[in-house]
Amino acid sequence: MTAPTAPSPPPLLRARNLLKQYDGVRALRGVDIEIRAGEVHALLGENGAGKSTLGKILAGAVPATAGTLEVDGREIRVRHPGDAQRQGIAMIFQELDLFPNLTVAENIALRNPALAEGFRVRRDRLHAFCRPFLERVGLPVDSATRLGDLHLGHQQLVAIARALSRSARLIVFDEATSALTEELVANLFRVIRDLRAAGVACIYVSHKMDEIFRICDRITVLRDGGFVATVDAAATNPDELVRLMIGHEVNTGQRARSHATETAVLEVANLTTTLVRDVSFKLHRGEVLGLAGLVGSGRGEIGRALFGLAPVLGGRLHKGGREVRPRTPRAAMAAGFGLVPRDRRREGLMMGMRVRDNANLAIMGRLSVAGVLRPGREAAAADRMATATRLKAGSPHTAVRTLSGGNQQKTLLGRWLQREPDVLFLDDPTRGVDVGAKEDIYQLIAEQAARGAGIMLVSSELPELLRCCDRILVLNQGRVAGLVDARTATAESLLRQATASGAPGEGSL
Amino acid sequence: MKECLRRHRDLVQSLAVLGLIFSLAAVCSPRDWRTGGPLFLQADNLTNLLRVTTPVAMVALGMTLVILTGGIDLSVGSTLGLAAVVAALALAKWRWGGAAAIATAITVGGLVGLLNGALVALLRVPPFIITLASMIGIRGLARSWCNNENIGLRTAGDAAVRFVDTWSQKPFMIGLFAGLALLVAALLRGTVFGRYVRALGDNPTAAVYAGLPIKRVQLAVYGLTGLLAGLAGVLTAARTNTGNPNDGIAAELDVIAVVVMGGTALTGGRGGIAGTVIGALIVGILANILGLRNVDANSQLMLKAGIIVLAVVLQQRRAAR
Repeated sequence: MTAPTAPSPPPLLRARNLLKQYDGVRALRGVDIEIRAGEVHALLGENGAGKSTLGKILAGAVPATAGTLEVDGREIRVRHPGDAQRQGIAMIFQELDLFPNLTVAENIALRNPALAEGFRVRRDRLHAFCRPFLERVGLPVDSATRLGDLHLGHQQLVAIARALSRSARLIVFDEATSALTEELVANLFRVIRDLRAAGVACIYVSHKMDEIFRICDRITVLRDGGFVATVDAAATNPDELVRLMIGHEVNTGQRARSHATETAVLEVANLTTTLVRDVSFKLHRGEVLGLAGLVGSGRGEIGRALFGLAPVLGGRLHKGGREVRPRTPRAAMAAGFGLVPRDRRREGLMMGMRVRDNANLAIMGRLSVAGVLRPGREAAAADRMATATRLKAGSPHTAVRTLSGGNQQKTLLGRWLQREPDVLFLDDPTRGVDVGAKEDIYQLIAEQAARGAGIMLVSSELPELLRCCDRILVLNQGRVAGLVDARTATAESLLRQATASGAPGEGSL
Repeated sequence: MKECLRRHRDLVQSLAVLGLIFSLAAVCSPRDWRTGGPLFLQADNLTNLLRVTTPVAMVALGMTLVILTGGIDLSVGSTLGLAAVVAALALAKWRWGGAAAIATAITVGGLVGLLNGALVALLRVPPFIITLASMIGIRGLARSWCNNENIGLRTAGDAAVRFVDTWSQKPFMIGLFAGLALLVAALLRGTVFGRYVRALGDNPTAAVYAGLPIKRVQLAVYGLTGLLAGLAGVLTAARTNTGNPNDGIAAELDVIAVVVMGGTALTGGRGGIAGTVIGALIVGILANILGLRNVDANSQLMLKAGIIVLAVVLQQRRAAR
């Protein structure tokens, strides 16, 4: 970086030599970074590279072990998230820090001094106060709606509106799009561009290359907790960034070989639940069937219905020619189904338990005699699972909580792969997972297909579906909008079918 | 070795606290006027301490499992009272043999536990509410079965006297507790059931998605706790020579305090039997030394309150790391 000739104004935020230590593990070791007003600045790196930690420290959400933070050239001390808030810094967390039982307006205005008179909240002013911020983020809901009734994408917009209402000058987005569909991502990016135009700086923590090029001005790459480089987005390309991130080239986008056969393993006829209507399709042995659709299209609901987690109101399921109707996950498992849920922290893993115990949880019967566990069998199963999924964990006794997102996901996949289900439903298995682990997961999907399992794959990333699947079922508002061959489909055609309004279904197949 | 120490850091800390309290008790203890040694360390006192602690500690074994699943059982004190009454009724009024009376009392405890478990599993009402209701109802049942009267056992015939003589002996009570503690610890550590108990408390939603037999696990932990409360009731009847329908009032709180002191988190998933045994010993030593120093009962309660808060604060520090 060249030294400026004239004394330029100090950057909005400057961090020097940030160091962060968790439980003896160095998450960050001496990172320097500068954020300018009105820029969108990406923090890029594999999982475990320290990008989320850096984002959280910059937002004041966690304290650094050592190092300094300057705002407008003045050193600030952040001991409490409120300290950063007063400096105009806000963070949009991956797990949103909102109150589901309060209304949208209450969430935005909570603790806002403009609306408090002593201990009294001026409810009459609440909605008028919130309206401009909701408009700025393009959220078309009544501010009296209970937050918990909104879906995740809209909740996130509420969090942004709240940041704006506190006149944030710097907003940190942590993996902001991991739960969003293409449509909501586009909306989010529009909001971020508006913010940039208004002089607000955004820090964008992500490992999604395409998004970073769509939205970011500058990119800081981290690797193993250390600073690698800060580059202008206009002056670089994905290949260079990947090299910076992992130090070597990766093979991107190779289409998986098909293992699909002609034997149907699952036939779904007119499946109807509260969220989907008349969904019919066949899944073959060795086939990877993609499920595309917006959030709320019912793509995840199909898995829950198969697994006895959503009440089936109508329709029939035939597995291997025999009619089945699992009413509980246990019954579904006995019938040969497996489900890797979407939210691994909430629905998947026992975060306080060990890697081994998480991975073995669904095959306890095999590892025990008359209910008594055989330690030898447990260890052997865990070893096989770790090898098969290329899991990187210190030991099988490591708490799953301490693993990176990718390795957590592999542990959860391992739990189901060990059961060797005939039908495996994967609900967005690469959500919040780094590049390397993603490749491993694609490989695992292919291996399961080769074994002869029928696989249903839900994904928010259309390129992923195009790459991994044989056919793709497109859902739109709970109905089948199309069933396409993945070799000929394009992201655009899928998106068109998934977003087409009107009455989809019958005619458009 | 180092790895082992690190993995069991919580336990090592609890042991250190136990050692500290034991030493403090020895130092603060009044002296024997003949030998000059601390009364606290005399064998008779130490075994007494263990015997007095046994009923609460025994119930705490079951409560540990319940709390590990993310539940709570407030009815154990009432169940203890009911079992004591049943045992005494069977021996003194119905003139049953010792074995039949004991088995019946313990079974009644187990049935109360199963009822709790069934209601928790099937009605999906929080365990706090279910067991609060049964705490109230079971106490009423205990009192009505004996017409609000204490049932004396000393004058109630041979079987009753033999029962009291055997079941109130220190080696018997202490040995029984030690055996049960080992058994429950093995259950938790080495069986599929134990793994499910932890998994359910760690993440109940994920437990559903993983297809765990949640209802059976709940039935089992509440049932087991009921059995242990029944057994504790029998022991209490033997130690006090009476079946008293008011036995075990507020015992549920002592039991929960012991479990929490032992490092088991009320949020579920975290903790274990070794911690609970240590917690019981800490509570027992404290009560004993305060008694030896003639601290009055009300001050003991206030001290106990402070110590519980302190223990939980320490536990949260650990969880935060």
